[in-house]
Amino acid sequence: MAYAYLFKYIIIGDTGVGKSCLLLQFTDKRFQPVHDLTIGVEFGARMITIDGKQIKLQIWDTAGQESFRSITRSYYRGAAGALLVYDITRRDTFNHLTTWLEDARQHSNSNMVIMLIANKSDLESRREVKKEEGEAFAREHGLIFMETSAKTASNVEEAFINTAKEIYEKIQEGVFDINNEANGIKIGPQHSTPGSPGSHMGGQQAGGGCC
Amino acid sequence: MNFLRGVMGGQQSSGVQPSGAETIQKLCDRVASSTLLEDRRDAVRALKSLSKKYRLEVGTQAMDHLLNVLQTDRSDSEIIGYALDTLYNIVSNDMEEAAESEEENQQVQTEDLGVQFTELFMKQENVTLLLSILEEFDFHVRWPGVKLLTTLLKQQGPQVQQIVLVSPMGVSRLMDLLDDSREVIRNDGLLLLQQLTKGNAAIQKIVAFENAFERLLDIITEEGNSDGGIVVEDCLILLQNLLKYNSSNQNFFKEGSYIQRMKPWFEVGDDNSGWSAQKVTNLHLMLQLVRVLVSPVNPPGSTSSCQKVMYQCGLLQQLCIILMATGVPADILTETINTVSEVIRGSQINQDYFASVNAPSNPPRPAIVVLLMSMVNERQPFVLRCAVLYCFQCFLYKNQKGQAEIVATLLPSTIDATSLSAGQMLCGGLFSTDSLSNWCAAVALAHALLENSTQKEQLLRVQLATSIGNPPVSLLQQCTNILSQGSKVQTRVGLLMLLCTWLSNCPIAVTHFLHNASNVPFLTAQISENLGEEEQLVQGLCALLLGICIYYNDSSLENNTKEKLKQLIEKRIGKEIFIEKLVFITKHEYYSKAAQKPQPSFSSPDHMMFDHEFTKLVKELEAVIIKAVYKSSEEDKKEEEVKKSLEQHDNIVSHYKNVIREQDIQIEELKQSVSSLQAKNEQFQTTVSQQLAQIQQHKDQYNILKVQLGKENQHHNTHNSNAQVNGFQPEEVNRLKEEIEELKKQQDLLKGELSEKNVLIQNLSSQAGAQIGQVTGASEEAAELQKDMETLRSQLIVQSSEINRLQTERLELLQKLEANATKTASGDHATEPKNNEHEEKLANLLKELNSTKEELKTVSEEKASLKLELDSARSTAAILQDEKQKLTLEVIESKKEQDDLLILLADQDQKILSLKNKLKELGEQVEDEDDLESGDAGDEDDLDEDGREDDI
Ligand SMILES: Nc1nc2c(ncn2[C@@H]2O[C@H](COP(=O)(O)OP(=O)(O)O)[C@@H](O)[C@H]2O)c(=O)[nH]1
Ligand SMILES: [Mg+2]
Repeated sequence: MAYAYLFKYIIIGDTGVGKSCLLLQFTDKRFQPVHDLTIGVEFGARMITIDGKQIKLQIWDTAGQESFRSITRSYYRGAAGALLVYDITRRDTFNHLTTWLEDARQHSNSNMVIMLIANKSDLESRREVKKEEGEAFAREHGLIFMETSAKTASNVEEAFINTAKEIYEKIQEGVFDINNEANGIKIGPQHSTPGSPGSHMGGQQAGGGCC
Repeated sequence: MNFLRGVMGGQQSSGVQPSGAETIQKLCDRVASSTLLEDRRDAVRALKSLSKKYRLEVGTQAMDHLLNVLQTDRSDSEIIGYALDTLYNIVSNDMEEAAESEEENQQVQTEDLGVQFTELFMKQENVTLLLSILEEFDFHVRWPGVKLLTTLLKQQGPQVQQIVLVSPMGVSRLMDLLDDSREVIRNDGLLLLQQLTKGNAAIQKIVAFENAFERLLDIITEEGNSDGGIVVEDCLILLQNLLKYNSSNQNFFKEGSYIQRMKPWFEVGDDNSGWSAQKVTNLHLMLQLVRVLVSPVNPPGSTSSCQKVMYQCGLLQQLCIILMATGVPADILTETINTVSEVIRGSQINQDYFASVNAPSNPPRPAIVVLLMSMVNERQPFVLRCAVLYCFQCFLYKNQKGQAEIVATLLPSTIDATSLSAGQMLCGGLFSTDSLSNWCAAVALAHALLENSTQKEQLLRVQLATSIGNPPVSLLQQCTNILSQGSKVQTRVGLLMLLCTWLSNCPIAVTHFLHNASNVPFLTAQISENLGEEEQLVQGLCALLLGICIYYNDSSLENNTKEKLKQLIEKRIGKEIFIEKLVFITKHEYYSKAAQKPQPSFSSPDHMMFDHEFTKLVKELEAVIIKAVYKSSEEDKKEEEVKKSLEQHDNIVSHYKNVIREQDIQIEELKQSVSSLQAKNEQFQTTVSQQLAQIQQHKDQYNILKVQLGKENQHHNTHNSNAQVNGFQPEEVNRLKEEIEELKKQQDLLKGELSEKNVLIQNLSSQAGAQIGQVTGASEEAAELQKDMETLRSQLIVQSSEINRLQTERLELLQKLEANATKTASGDHATEPKNNEHEEKLANLLKELNSTKEELKTVSEEKASLKLELDSARSTAAILQDEKQKLTLEVIESKKEQDDLLILLADQDQKILSLKNKLKELGEQVEDEDDLESGDAGDEDDLDEDGREDDI
């Protein structure tokens, strides 16, 4: 249970691109073809290892609909990483990336690592957005890029772990202020537990036991 | 009041008492029109002081002006503070402050006012404005701001929540209040957050995301956990808001390892400390918070993972200490029992642990027994007894092992008469005079049988000793005996629930029940009687029991077969009436209440009628019993067959279940062996990696030593002026050696060629004289030889130049070496060992050089001898050539002679021929022609040979 670092992530992107499925695949290693529409925000967590260190990922999966945008915005500032997801079989979800990115950049701390994820790579026959286009967008905006499939689990681990690696490197470079938890990073608990201060109570016993 | 007089000027002194409304209007005008900030500030301050007494007037007249001030006078925190205070006063329904009002405001009116003014205030921009004002650090601004927003939230919660949600950073800014260094603001911030999070899952999640759990748990720890004041209570309420019915936050709480941080809350066990009201409240909330995480209404996976953590981190153990401690207030004890119940419910590990807990009595008794003692103790509080029952039910929930253990304490073979057992407690309760004890014990015992046909059969073996001299009576019979004695409704309902549970799905128990001839008549009598409302519940349960006797009847008793019992119903009761009585159960209000949740909770002991699990059983059985009663005997038979095949299926299923169970055990064992192997493997791997590391270390050390050595050499060499030469020597020597090798090889080659040639020459000289025919070949060979000798000569030239070069190089080297030797010899003492080394090296080099010299010498000697040999070979060749020429001449001469001879021969032949012809003409006998002819044919050859032979 002990971890060296804790990173907070958010998953953003249009509704239906597979955000919840990606999270489920990452935390539970399973795919649920019929997934409930996310209302607001759902939480998931998993431990990973980077550089021999245990890192706890706490992930908030957001709802993509416009009506939940203001709720989603509340999560940007406190996140160290964001997975921005689009669906390769739906060009409109790719076209909306700019809006998402603007929103994210405006409300997050400047060091937040953003990973661009092209999901549903298993649906090659229905592809509408070429891999090169995703790569170009990522290059242009300084994002890491990866094609994934929440269905086959292809690259799902990598997407979450590579984001963590990037954050980890930024910590090593001293870019992140790790003492400010508002950045979405927390150093692992020290081995001392928060002890209870010595009790200073006296007086007679009150009430009676059951026997 | 001096200040007020000042504000109202001379009006008061003139004797005309102005109405509150007039004064307020004047003040409002000043706020609206005065250009002086001081003036406006005074006016707002005056409004504030009037706002309690003239709440209605200030609210209706000044609201807009006050809002205006908030917008335009942001730079002056004093006036903002007054404005906020005033707004708070008119919006708030706080009883204390309202009581100060001299007017006789009834509470209802006050509340109306608050709602009305809140509605007036409720515009998006006003709330947003208030949110931005809260960023102001000034205490006189922030504090009233927090209170005002809290009040708005209390009265218009959903609306304000929505506005906060859409305003950027809204929630996050309010969370910052928890970090305010001024305790008053932090504490009021807690109250604000309580209101903000009420019933809004989205806000609850954002607040949790903003590290609320961490911060609240920190505050609770800082304040001394349950010994802390009302702040702890406020934190706990807020935590409850965040976690209750919010599975995402519950998951976050668990994943954030916050459950572990709850454990110290309950370290209050036996420490003889006082129990202040605050401490009791705090502990109550703490226990409730644990229950929120493991509530039976949560998603099953969520509850079970929290239960696991609670055992692993020792929270359950800590709760059990409180359970067994003395001096714990009864309500805390009750809530602790309820909490332990839900922490263990359906979790095998936790249930097993609970079964192992002992009370610290002498001798130690199992906690279960001690708790059951309270359950059947009339003097214990009702809620506590309910809690114990719940705990017992949770202990047995999905716990076949626990059920078997409880039943075993009653069986003749395993009964332990020397100590109190759970079974004894339950039987005692079952047959005590206290109906509540009867009911609780019956329900508790029923839970030991739920979904467990093995225990249903086992319990049939239980015999009770009633009075001395009388034979023992079976537990089943004793239950029906008491039933027929007409005790309290509660007792009979309890016993009937136990019997229904016992007999359902257990034909043997049904047979046992029917075996007693008085039981069926008793039931039919109960059902058919026309009794008061009180008894209708009992009648319904009797109908249910009779129905079970029909439905689960294997017709092994001739007098009480399915068919006969059905006929009995028709004759004695009537099908319709029977059904009517049966369905009465599910129509009862107590039934629907009990069906809601597993925990037994009753507004009064009299309402304690139904058990939650029993309501499930009724739901299951009602329909099938109605069917069974209406069915014809043929249908029954068919049913029977279906049932049998189903039973077979069941048997198969249970067989496979057993197989699976066994496999599970095997898998478990395998898993264990795998994990032990893995552990071993890990050990080995660590040893290997340790060893690898050691090897690497050694290598590194070795490398470092090497590098150091190199450095030392260099270091040493810098002291020597001819460092370069030292460095060069081995290379130079090597090169020389190689060259010498090369030379040697060439020399060998030459030697070989030479000896070949010698052989050739010998051959030639031996053959030359004798064989004229080979002379041509010899001359060719001689030419070749000459060529060879040419190449040899050129090689020799190359070699000799090479040798010259080598010699000069050697000389140079020698000189250098000598110089070096002298330098080294004159080096300082510290470097003496090194110098010795160098000297040795030099000596070696010299030796090598000497041997090289010698080799060179031999090479040149060989070269000289080769030259000699070549010369002699050349002269031999010349001689040979001469001889060859002579031979050729001789050959020509002899050919001429041959020709002459041939001509002579031809002439003589002619002469002989003409002589022969003359002789023939003369008639003389002449020699055979043939002879002559043959002699002609071979003459040339013969002559040749002859000629040669002649020559020799
Ligand atoms: N073929 C395929 N379908 C996917 C993949 N990921 C998600 N889906 C489907 O896309 C739909 C929307 O997924 P969901 O995770 O709810 O999207 P969200 O709104 O972004 O959370 C669901 O029907 C999923 O089964 C994927 O990688 N491949
Ligand atoms: Mg979703």
